Amino acid sequence: MKAKKRVVTSGASASASRTRRRPTVRRVTSAIVPARPVAKRERAASPAGGSTVESVVAQPPASVDLSVDLAPRRGGLRLANPILVASGTFGYGIEYGEVVDVERLGAICCKGTTLKPRIGNPPPRVTETPAGMLNSIGLQNPGIDAVLEKYAPLWQRWSVPVIVNVAGESIADYVEVVRRLDGVPGVAGVELNISCPNVGKGGLQFAIDAEAAGAVTAAVRRATGLPLLVKLSPNVADVRPIARAIEAAGADAISAINTLSGIAVARDRTRPLLGNVFGGLSGPAIKPVALRIVYEVSQVVDIPVVAIGGIVELGDVLDFLAVGAVAVQVGTAIFADPTLPVRLVDELAVECARRDLDSYRPLIGTALPRKPGPPSVKGVEYRP
Amino acid sequence: MRLVPAELVESRQILPGQWIQSFHAPALASGSRAGQFVHVRTGDYSGLLLRRPLSINTADPATGVITIHFRTVGRGTDWLTRLRPGETLDMLGPLGRPFEVDPRSRHLLLVAGGLGIAGVRMLIDEAIRDGRQVVVLFGAASARDVYPSSLLPDEVEYAVATDDGSLGHAGLVTELVADYEAWADQAFACGPKPMLAALATLAAGRRERLGVAKLGRKRGGGRRDPVGSPAARRKSFLQVALEQNMGCAVGACLGCVVMGVTGQPQRVCREGPVFAAEEIAWEAGW
Repeated sequence: MKAKKRVVTSGASASASRTRRRPTVRRVTSAIVPARPVAKRERAASPAGGSTVESVVAQPPASVDLSVDLAPRRGGLRLANPILVASGTFGYGIEYGEVVDVERLGAICCKGTTLKPRIGNPPPRVTETPAGMLNSIGLQNPGIDAVLEKYAPLWQRWSVPVIVNVAGESIADYVEVVRRLDGVPGVAGVELNISCPNVGKGGLQFAIDAEAAGAVTAAVRRATGLPLLVKLSPNVADVRPIARAIEAAGADAISAINTLSGIAVARDRTRPLLGNVFGGLSGPAIKPVALRIVYEVSQVVDIPVVAIGGIVELGDVLDFLAVGAVAVQVGTAIFADPTLPVRLVDELAVECARRDLDSYRPLIGTALPRKPGPPSVKGVEYRP
Repeated sequence: MRLVPAELVESRQILPGQWIQSFHAPALASGSRAGQFVHVRTGDYSGLLLRRPLSINTADPATGVITIHFRTVGRGTDWLTRLRPGETLDMLGPLGRPFEVDPRSRHLLLVAGGLGIAGVRMLIDEAIRDGRQVVVLFGAASARDVYPSSLLPDEVEYAVATDDGSLGHAGLVTELVADYEAWADQAFACGPKPMLAALATLAAGRRERLGVAKLGRKRGGGRRDPVGSPAARRKSFLQVALEQNMGCAVGACLGCVVMGVTGQPQRVCREGPVFAAEEIAWEAGW
């Protein structure tokens, strides 16, 4: 190994690539290419230059009241603003700490937590889909005790409320986890994940049946005085009886929606792509579904509805408010733009100021019908 | 970890379907180490949502330029190729943990399979800067996919294996390792998972084949570096850079895991992308 020998790739291939390169560049810039790709590029360049938007709303008006109480019955979950981050997209709040000022968020919903540690599903666990993504994490988490030991002291120091997302396989599981959360400093509330589509046992079965959803909510309600949110699944025929049952069982608020069940196919088309076969669809692709469910649910319950599903800009927030949501959770879009939730807080304040509102409350429910009527009943027959 | 704007300086197709792009991003160029990656936001004009995790191919703190090397596999990477100089991308980085080179290592063996060269390319620069000798073993399907030697520093010894024998050794790149494993102090690899698994097996049996005594404290015992710590990785013969579908790339979504030997899934974005070969449970199929 004294002399340095170099195995040189054939000069022909190197020069060939060089000559090939030039026409490729010319193709992109030539006039033969119609204006379409150029327009595409311009449009595409704007989100990358998102910092300009940021500078426009650098000074949000302080006079607008964005605060909201998600547990008005007990007055226990007061948020500084209605922009939350959705469970599973923000870890335990610290992962994005270097690029996001978490204290400015309305609240953080932490990663779904179970009684015992779970290692989750085999990879691949995520894949991109048109205007969305499929995930099948399988509730990987270190278990409630480890989570509280590691993160609760940190949450206690934050001014932003942390809502612990709880998942389980049985009612006893849910109750036990919630008991351990009760009274822990730093835990502001509980969000029941009764609708995870990615685990074999438990999860979804509670969300598709009104009786089961009511039972698990009531059991958890008896176990804790913490503000209680229950997260609805879109994978049901009619969501309204389930929402009513959850309200009757004593939930403080409803969050909607969880992911839609879906699959993707591997590149070589020999098998499904995800390790768990089934995944949950999220992102802008599911916004219309989320809007429909929030629209339906907010007409049949009196408790606050927290909307989740494909929020990527202020317009989406306003849409969800218009169909009755009092707050929203930003999820998948955080992966593309971690600063989005904080920016939405500022943009919402600016929007309110622009409309001469001193609170964002007048924006809520503006698109709801005067009285709940036939439109929300119709269509149930041909829904899956 | 920072969100920084990166302005495209130069874009060129080095091989059919493979591109190297240079970006002006001083914060990334001066703050990153070999093995780390950036999470690049592509345009969302057609519903693309996720960022693309790409290895930092080279970084030059003097000019503030980093390069990325990718293959056009879908709409996101296709969009990247149509970016023009002067346009700006949004990059999150540097992310992940770098390769750990033992200060005493003089001879580094780098094994790259196809696009895996992008994962170890920066380590070549770092090693040569530090006066180490570098051998790069490169494997590809055929000559048309072989990384041009003109893009490597002159100090590097470069050996190529192609599946169809059209250039260099006919066969797998792992078959070249035998010539160098006695020479190498440490090895680093990036490429397809089967290649990495084969290398891990080779690395595990290396000591017996060479008859090398276990280095370290004479009486054994003593302080053991925790698995996955930089110190433990420095002592490991083989480090591998893995790739996996990613969501957030900061450790929040748990989308990019591989199974570790401890039975705990390891996040490629946070505990990785570089792992010591013995940290990974290769047979788990994860």
